[in-house]
Amino acid sequence: MTGKQIKHVLQRTGFYVLVLIVAAYALIPFVWAISTSLKSESELFGSARLIPQNPSFDNYVNVLTSASFMGSLGNSVIVAGGSAILALTAGSFAAYALGRLRFRGKQTMLYAVLAMTMFPQISVLSGMYENVRNLGIFGTQAAMLYAYPLFTLPFAAWVLTSFFRGLPREIEEAAVVDGATTAQIFARILLPLTVPALVTTGLLTFIVSWNEYVFALAFTLTNPSAQTVPVAVAQFAGIVEQQEPIAEIMAAAIVVTVPLVVLVLIFQRRIAAGLTAGSVKG
Amino acid sequence: MTEPATTATPPSLSAKLLGGLLAVAGLLAIALLFASIVAHPDVRAGFDASLGDARPSWVLAILDRFGLLVPALVLGLGGVTVRLGTQVARRHAGAIRLTRDVSLWAALFAGVITISRALQGTPWVNAGGDSVATGLAGGVLAAGALTVFTVILRVALARLASDPTLPTEPLPAREMRSAWNLLLPALLILVMVAARPLEATVVTSLTDKRFASDQVPNFVGFANYRDLLTVKLDTLECRRDDAGACEVGRDGQTRWETLPVDTLREGYRSAYVINLPLVMPNDRAVSVTALDAKWVRSIWVTIVFTVLSVSGELLLGLFIAMTVHSSFRGRGAMRAVMLIPWAIPTVVSARLWELMLKDTSAGVLNSALLNLNLIDRPLAWLTTASLQLPSVIMIDVWKTAPFMALLILAGLQTIPKELYESAKVDGATPVREFFAITLPLLRPAIGVALIFRTLDALRVFDLFQVLLGRAQQSMSTYNFDVLINDQQAGYASAIGVLIFLLIFAFALMYVRVLGVNRE
Repeated sequence: MTGKQIKHVLQRTGFYVLVLIVAAYALIPFVWAISTSLKSESELFGSARLIPQNPSFDNYVNVLTSASFMGSLGNSVIVAGGSAILALTAGSFAAYALGRLRFRGKQTMLYAVLAMTMFPQISVLSGMYENVRNLGIFGTQAAMLYAYPLFTLPFAAWVLTSFFRGLPREIEEAAVVDGATTAQIFARILLPLTVPALVTTGLLTFIVSWNEYVFALAFTLTNPSAQTVPVAVAQFAGIVEQQEPIAEIMAAAIVVTVPLVVLVLIFQRRIAAGLTAGSVKG
Repeated sequence: MTEPATTATPPSLSAKLLGGLLAVAGLLAIALLFASIVAHPDVRAGFDASLGDARPSWVLAILDRFGLLVPALVLGLGGVTVRLGTQVARRHAGAIRLTRDVSLWAALFAGVITISRALQGTPWVNAGGDSVATGLAGGVLAAGALTVFTVILRVALARLASDPTLPTEPLPAREMRSAWNLLLPALLILVMVAARPLEATVVTSLTDKRFASDQVPNFVGFANYRDLLTVKLDTLECRRDDAGACEVGRDGQTRWETLPVDTLREGYRSAYVINLPLVMPNDRAVSVTALDAKWVRSIWVTIVFTVLSVSGELLLGLFIAMTVHSSFRGRGAMRAVMLIPWAIPTVVSARLWELMLKDTSAGVLNSALLNLNLIDRPLAWLTTASLQLPSVIMIDVWKTAPFMALLILAGLQTIPKELYESAKVDGATPVREFFAITLPLLRPAIGVALIFRTLDALRVFDLFQVLLGRAQQSMSTYNFDVLINDQQAGYASAIGVLIFLLIFAFALMYVRVLGVNRE
């Protein structure tokens, strides 16, 4: 081998080491959680080793048979799913107007929607709490469904607006010439073209709602049966009262995370595009 | 123009009848609003002379129970409905089309209300807690009637609008009408979930309201804001020992004199004592005291967290993005892996790191550092005051650097490859390439990513709440603590308003940098 070839091989190896480091950086905590979730409580107090000595699914069985945890899983599905559907419906109408139509006041509305995506939830917690109480839905899943559009709707509208803009205008013009109404153009032509965008945005809003903590914590203080998974995981007490059931908490953490990770792995290209569209491109 | 059909055939509802119905509905809405305000027991109590000094202020009762926004909205929309009604009666083409479009939303909205009313009390929305739902059956009936009414309205208006004798409308007017019609549901939802709670928070911040209390609060003006914003700076001298030198405590820190008694008596408490080595003599320090020292500390903690975590994320994100940007086998998988920390719920990753940072044998970080001989005994990362903030910053960097890398990666992909090729021809080194081409061209992407992340970091809640509780608080967790644990809704609302103003200023900056004019 010539010196040049050796240098090339070394460079390549060094590069893959870098890649491995980045991958390890992102993955190790997750892998550690999986490993912990397979250990018994007694093994946890031994040395910290990656490979469990007697891997068992006992912790998962405990978690998945716990009525309160499964209840919170159901709550999260309702809340995150409902929020995603609501944000997609109202958001896609708004995004169609903002991305495709010409009208006075559009610029202001675009600014408003973008600024709204950064709305600090904590600042309206006190007011939101009052509203939720006045509506008689405090301590219910409906309270979260009511509050979550605060962040899901502007986000969905903004991401979808940038998707709608990317579509060629000629399609619409041809349809207008053929005498189609706005509703027909939206439903028959643009909507089918934007199904990928809708899937992505729906997924993103679902994940954001699934992970939300402030409102979920405040609105379920008096009614644990309405808790969503982040609150349940934060307050997970387990079956044995005296000690913190670390292994069970990790099993619970894996259960609520794996669906998201699977979704992310399947749709990674789209999610990355959606995220950058939502925050970088105007 | 022929009169609208008045024969017995299906499209028989005349424009006059429809317009009249609309006008009556608008007036009815306004009347209902006034009736419900006047009939509200707390508002009535404000006029009850027999209550004497216990009589609450009716102005505050209205502001607290109804606010200004919703009444104004009902008044405005009611007025518009009346006006549209009269125009529809005169067969005004634009009004008929607009009312037809909007009536669809009204019908949908009424339908949703009916369903949610009907669901209340069922296992799906088990109204636990201190729910105040009343008049369930009546609510379902009223909302149901409204739904039927709006559906009929919609059908009738659609018939009326399909009349070929109506003048056609020019394209720009049509686009304008469709646009605002499409924006309407989103706007109404945002008014209900953003503007209305914000209004309630601002109103509450001017009162002494208690959390979850049903009493009409007292107006206190800007007292809450004064308590939050009063900060006093003093200089302190160090304590002298017998030789006249500065006393140094066991921890190696200089001991400072205590605060003047008067300052303490006025309610000031010490937030920080700072000695700036380069600009100040060694025996002097600035003492920051405030009426709410915990709030001042939470601001400082949030700022330190924001600056350090965002710059850490930027550096690491830049590194990751550069690595992943080059082409290699498995690049797609790598990008998917990068999204995993982002997808894990923050609460979950907080608990995950809580486990890894334990100072018992279960803590993997400590045992790794012990094995590498970097430390000689396990560190209690989350319970040692000086390690708490660094730990939280580390976790935040772990979670968000890959996300930052994604944003930077999007910027990297817009740099034309030819630039690098011509740089190679000119014999530029990779380092020079990075500083002369990559970094300048990445500036817009980095700028946007920085502001975006700064806004997120300033709002940080989950990590602090789960990992540190009340030990060290960010602005958001302090706000939550004051509201939920101390039950001081008025004071907490003032904190919320201040946080809102801060974030809003940053958001304006963000919007200006980003610009939305990209037609």
